[in-house]
Amino acid sequence: MEFGFTSEQEMLRKSAREFAEAEIRPRVRDMDETGKVPMDILDKMAKLGFMGVMIPREYGGLEMGHIARTIVLEEIGRVSAAMANTLQITHLGISPIVTDGTEDQKRRWLPMLARGEKLSTFAVTEPTGGSDVLGIQTTAKREGDEYVINGRKCFISNSHLAGVLGILAKTGEGPKGLTTFVVQSDSPGFRPGREENKFGLRGANTGELILENCRVPKENVLGKEGDGLRIALGTISNVGRPGINAAALGIIRSCLEEAVRYSKQRVLYGKPISELQAVQWNLTDIYMDYEASRLLTYYSAWLRDKGERCDAENAMAKFCATEAAVRCAKKTIDIFGAYGCMMEFAPQRLLRDAELFISGAGTSEIMRLVMIRKVLTLA
Amino acid sequence: MGVSIEMVGCGRKIAEKLKTELAAVLLGHDVKDLADQLVAYGADKVYLAESELLRFYHSEAYAIIIGELAKKHRPEIFLLGSTSTGRDLAPRIAAKLCTGLTADCMSLDVDDKGRLLQVVPAFGGNVMATVICPVHRPQMATVRPGVMKPPEIVGGRHGEVVEIPVDLKEEDLNIRILDVVTEEPRAAPIETADVVVAGGWGVGNTDGWRLIEELARSMDAAVGATRPPVDEKWASEDQLIGQSGKTVRPRLYVGVAISGAMQHLVGVQDSKVIVAINKDPNAPIFKASDFGIVADFRDVVPPLADAIRKLR
Amino acid sequence: MSRVNCIVCLKPVPDPRRWSELALDPITKTLRREGIPSLLNPLDKHALEEALRIKERSGGTVTVISMAPLTANDVLREAIAIGADGAVLLSHKSFAGADTLATSYVLAAAVKKLGEFDLLLCGNQSLDGGTGQVGPEIAEFLGIPHVTYVRRIDVLDRGAVRVERALEYGYMVIEGRMPLVLSVVDEINVPRHISLMRISDAMQAEIPVWTSRDLDIDSGRIGLLGSPTQVADLFLPTIKRRREMITGAPDTVSKLLIQKLRELGVL
Repeated sequence: MEFGFTSEQEMLRKSAREFAEAEIRPRVRDMDETGKVPMDILDKMAKLGFMGVMIPREYGGLEMGHIARTIVLEEIGRVSAAMANTLQITHLGISPIVTDGTEDQKRRWLPMLARGEKLSTFAVTEPTGGSDVLGIQTTAKREGDEYVINGRKCFISNSHLAGVLGILAKTGEGPKGLTTFVVQSDSPGFRPGREENKFGLRGANTGELILENCRVPKENVLGKEGDGLRIALGTISNVGRPGINAAALGIIRSCLEEAVRYSKQRVLYGKPISELQAVQWNLTDIYMDYEASRLLTYYSAWLRDKGERCDAENAMAKFCATEAAVRCAKKTIDIFGAYGCMMEFAPQRLLRDAELFISGAGTSEIMRLVMIRKVLTLA
Repeated sequence: MGVSIEMVGCGRKIAEKLKTELAAVLLGHDVKDLADQLVAYGADKVYLAESELLRFYHSEAYAIIIGELAKKHRPEIFLLGSTSTGRDLAPRIAAKLCTGLTADCMSLDVDDKGRLLQVVPAFGGNVMATVICPVHRPQMATVRPGVMKPPEIVGGRHGEVVEIPVDLKEEDLNIRILDVVTEEPRAAPIETADVVVAGGWGVGNTDGWRLIEELARSMDAAVGATRPPVDEKWASEDQLIGQSGKTVRPRLYVGVAISGAMQHLVGVQDSKVIVAINKDPNAPIFKASDFGIVADFRDVVPPLADAIRKLR
Repeated sequence: MSRVNCIVCLKPVPDPRRWSELALDPITKTLRREGIPSLLNPLDKHALEEALRIKERSGGTVTVISMAPLTANDVLREAIAIGADGAVLLSHKSFAGADTLATSYVLAAAVKKLGEFDLLLCGNQSLDGGTGQVGPEIAEFLGIPHVTYVRRIDVLDRGAVRVERALEYGYMVIEGRMPLVLSVVDEINVPRHISLMRISDAMQAEIPVWTSRDLDIDSGRIGLLGSPTQVADLFLPTIKRRREMITGAPDTVSKLLIQKLRELGVL
């Protein structure tokens, strides 16, 4: 067991942190107030290689692995969970092309995704539910050399930003009746629909996708017909949840720093509140939540980098980190007292951001269902 | 000549202690009158080098001429003002003479061994060091403008003005000055400003705010604010100092009509010196200041700004 | 434009956010900096950025050097990740304790060993010492001209540069023949970020470490022994607020305040 980071990983962390502090931090308030996505920051990130962290080098990526990705997302998330979400969702959309794409498909899409010329996402959820994947209603019918896709997706991150998207649709019935398609945003019959007004992760885009007789070439099927469920669940488990974990970890880190800093400065009864036991217990609880979430998050990334199946570990980290983020954000607000309720101070935004991660990539309840499969094998 | 006069004053005191001569070096074009001033302030001798080439500070020419003078006359101690000129010239000469140089001294004195004791700040003033140059000569030091008290003119002082011929020509040198342009100083971003004047709720209105800005101008200071002036739009958001704004680290912070609530003070606590002006004697800011004046800022700020301007 | 090759001097400085942790050893009168991480001197980042821009326009190379403890390797790798082509670290116990003269002497020797170059760039001053002396001193040891407070550099065709030198109330325009030493101020540019794409190569780059044996130097002029200036005493200034109230009529109060501020050297 080796619990340290390599110097290369430390340099990566430092680079991501410096970028986040210099470019993102000054814009956080504005993003939260207006809800607008700062495209110029995304452009800068693209040029520095942030989007291509998981793409193999031969297609222009950094081929850095899951631990590296987690480091980058944690540092971005520490400054802005919204920005981290936009980035991690792009990785999510890219991932199935890397794992299941043909050489042709990889050459077609990966280089432009690595350069950040186009952003990405993966669309599963529909009004019929996200937790109930088999219940989706979007259909894809084969017509000659094309598929015609009809349906609506909702609560899709990067809905209005993505140029290359993964879409899950029904080509048959039952678990083997789902297929993953790569759909480009300029495809005929594809358009983003309403944009959601979220109370958290503001500055990240979430919205609806409308596919009305959307035509895609048969070459856009990832894997083959019927592989859709495996690809979708695999990518959400291995890339989606870990991405959220890293962003949530960034939130918890931010809670810890804000709470500690504030309590050392705030004087009541003639001394800083950091000397009051009740506040100290809150601070240590946030610290424990941070370290525990950190260990689980990096552990599951480590397992994945070794090529091992780790759905239970990914789910466990997701459950723990996201629940901890909400818990720690509330504690931080409480430490700030009345100041914690003012929009001017960070903690309220941390809570609003954290809550959005509870339902992303599977709710906490679903995480338990994922874990139980492994748990029942343990005795 | 500002800082040069201050150096003459400082040099005079040291020369008295060492019972030795104080010489000044004056380079320029058409500056002979200044030589007499230097004598009046305390120089026993002035080495004067005049040439069109020397009208503006020319690093190569100045270093060559002064380097030769220093090698010839071998002073014990050599002082310069720490200005853009001094900070450029002094190290070049120090390397030419292979001697030690201490920059931005806060005080200079000599011990009984005749060694120059140079007190300097390091790490932004978090640490103070006393530096000596025990063996190498001259012992060189620079001092920032305004640190040393300027000397009084002593009537009836006599001194010798020695004219140094200048043979250097621009063609012989590797750099040329093409132009010298005067500009309005740009407003320094508040986080890196050396001096900050901040106003609070008590300033009352835009007329009051003008007094704050005037005080800042008199000191070349950046202007900061607490939340109420920003809300009232007397100041902009990027001037906000405090927990939800900027942190400043100036050597001097003046808080005017600011009560001193915690969320503002955390942004200024690293200032070297804090001055507070407030008409409420119980304002918390006084406990966090080095100097406090209980008064209506409208009464104190105009004469203060005036007096500061007269210094320059 | 013909290729312009640049050398950039870098200095690792203790992280200013942790300066309050500097411990003063009262017996040896030295500063203990253990545990305080170093970062690249901010003005050196501007120097590196300018060198990279010159490289992009002229096609030359950018080599970074530093005289520092072995831990400075990180800062040199960071410079490579930002875009430098190569780095050299000058590190040896005999270099330790050097003042600006002894430091400049060693750096100049290393520059001579590196061979021909067109521009040597450095930050105008460092965060910790802040003397601004090393640039001009290196230039003197190399026998080439120098310009400080540089806020703009234009490379001209005929082996010369035209620079703007910032003054207290304006600027000078100076033309100089290369090679020369230019000390830059922050107005000159906005430094680029470390590119994630260069990190892997930067971590694997070979950074030679030169000791006193690798340089053509007089050992009596390096390190603590070669430093003309010595620290005779080191002390922490008291930071408690004085809470001194100044009373009187507005004119009196103004005069008194100004006097006190001047005594403290802040006005």
